Amino acid sequence: MTALLVAEDLTIDYITPRGTVRALDGATLTLEPGTSLGLVGESGSGKTTLGMAIGRLLPSYARRVGGDLSIDGRSVFALDNDGITTLRRDRLGFVFQSPMAALDPTMRIGRQVSFSLGDRARGDDVFTLLRKVGLADVEHVARAYPHELSGGMAQRVVIGMAIARRPSLIVADEPTASLDASIRDQILDLLMALKEEAGAAFILLSHEMSVVARYCDMIAVMYGGRVVEHGPSADVLNQPTHPYTRALLEAAPGKERAGQRLSPIPGVPPVLSGPSTGCSFAPRCRWAEDLCHRTRPMARDVAGRITVCHRAEAVAEACDDNAFAEN
Amino acid sequence: MVGRRFFAAALRTLHGDPLMALGAVLLIMFLLAGALGPLLPIGDPTAIGVGPRLSPPSQALPLGTDELGRSNLPRVVGGILVTFYLAGFAVLLTAVVGVFIGLLAAYFGGYVDGLVARLTDVMYAFPAIILGLLVSSIIGPGTFAVVIVITAATLPLFIRVVRSVALSVAAREFVTAAEVAGASPLRIMVVHLLPNVAGAAIVQLTYALSIGMLIESALSFLGLGAQPPHPSLGSLLQQGATYLTIAPWLVFPPGIILSLAILSVNLLGDGIRDAIDPLKGRSLK
Repeated sequence: MTALLVAEDLTIDYITPRGTVRALDGATLTLEPGTSLGLVGESGSGKTTLGMAIGRLLPSYARRVGGDLSIDGRSVFALDNDGITTLRRDRLGFVFQSPMAALDPTMRIGRQVSFSLGDRARGDDVFTLLRKVGLADVEHVARAYPHELSGGMAQRVVIGMAIARRPSLIVADEPTASLDASIRDQILDLLMALKEEAGAAFILLSHEMSVVARYCDMIAVMYGGRVVEHGPSADVLNQPTHPYTRALLEAAPGKERAGQRLSPIPGVPPVLSGPSTGCSFAPRCRWAEDLCHRTRPMARDVAGRITVCHRAEAVAEACDDNAFAEN
Repeated sequence: MVGRRFFAAALRTLHGDPLMALGAVLLIMFLLAGALGPLLPIGDPTAIGVGPRLSPPSQALPLGTDELGRSNLPRVVGGILVTFYLAGFAVLLTAVVGVFIGLLAAYFGGYVDGLVARLTDVMYAFPAIILGLLVSSIIGPGTFAVVIVITAATLPLFIRVVRSVALSVAAREFVTAAEVAGASPLRIMVVHLLPNVAGAAIVQLTYALSIGMLIESALSFLGLGAQPPHPSLGSLLQQGATYLTIAPWLVFPPGIILSLAILSVNLLGDGIRDAIDPLKGRSLK
């Protein structure tokens, strides 16, 4: 099976008036067709940059410094304007963080949905799509403006627009971040059901390990613009080989006893201006040794997954006796 | 159906904002007077010797006569027509060009945006009167020169506002979503950006209209605008100023009407701005 998506050492800078910020520092990632991948990392880890790079949807001040990202073996950066438009329209679907921002406030829902369906869409197609994402009273919804919908309804509309053309890859950037806890699971369940039905691959960008653990086959953990650990969910959760993954799992609520404090990760994530010299997590890492500060770790295979850590074996060993997975 | 709902909403807004309602009523009165003036039985604005020269207002000649014995009432009404419609035409031209350039600059960014922003700054720094002297000395005084000067003077205002609003709209996710859905740049600008900047553009249109009327009057006052025998509010002011001490009825009607017209346009613009964005404070209350 050939990979649907391959990111190879992708390096992206943001050129800002206050200087250059390295958003992606050689991110490497692969995704097989039909699988679901959870991309986990804190704010500024580069997960949104990587997600947007898939559709070449980076802001104008972004520069690709090196590496490549290809879909079906074709680089998205090498496509001409028609090529990228066709790719976005026919192969990709994006679900954004805030559904209200993803809908045009001046346009009725029905019209926006029909745009996402394409020029040959009829009124019935709009209703069918809205019903498919679990909305009732679709005639009313189609006539409404975005501000007349609740956040959950609006996110259902956005999901409908993302899957309208049966994409082969759906990218969801924290799709439940702006929603009530009570409807988060509904929205994610809906996304997964539609993904299964369409046989599409799925990338869920999130900072919550527990969410990703529940919905994704694969997990990729990002830190400092790199994918630091990438492997099957169960393996990553049961026996993390990267200290950052381990720290994330320890910081997540769920396993602690009453009265016990969660362990936060000391320090702050790095803001890079160029390639990191050593491991970018070394200053916050309790396994770090001299080597980590001096030499940039390269991706290697450890315990059935790809990890970017000099001390992966030691980290994995330390995890043998305590499992973090919820299921 | 949509039209009726729009008018109902407009009436409600006017009801809640008496100053805006005043502005709207005044503006409509002036527009009607200007448009229907030539059809009203008030006399010919260019006919000489209708009455004695410089005669004060009377029943037959409600606003008196000027130095050539022309009836002043039809001249003032004709002046409203010239001033309003020259300014209106020029500002509409500005709106179309300005919205287009502003959207282009905001959506494409980069060099296009930089070029537009710098050119706008240069145009903005140019005083309208100097520009008027320049244009009328190149292509000759007259209505065409007035339209060009008003457009050149209000264009930078328009581009700036449209560009800044469109910049914030273009950065929002629904534009990205439209790009993902395969929409072309033209389609994104027309379908998504334009409706979102329309409110700001309409408010700017009213301010530009008042600036346009001022520029038209100023140029006509200097003799660079509407040419005799056709009146404009500015040229009437200039003629009237000559006889200010002996025939004050010539200068006051066009002066008062011009002031009220500019006031009414600004009141309407403030009202629309408040109606679109109720969180912003009033500038005049």
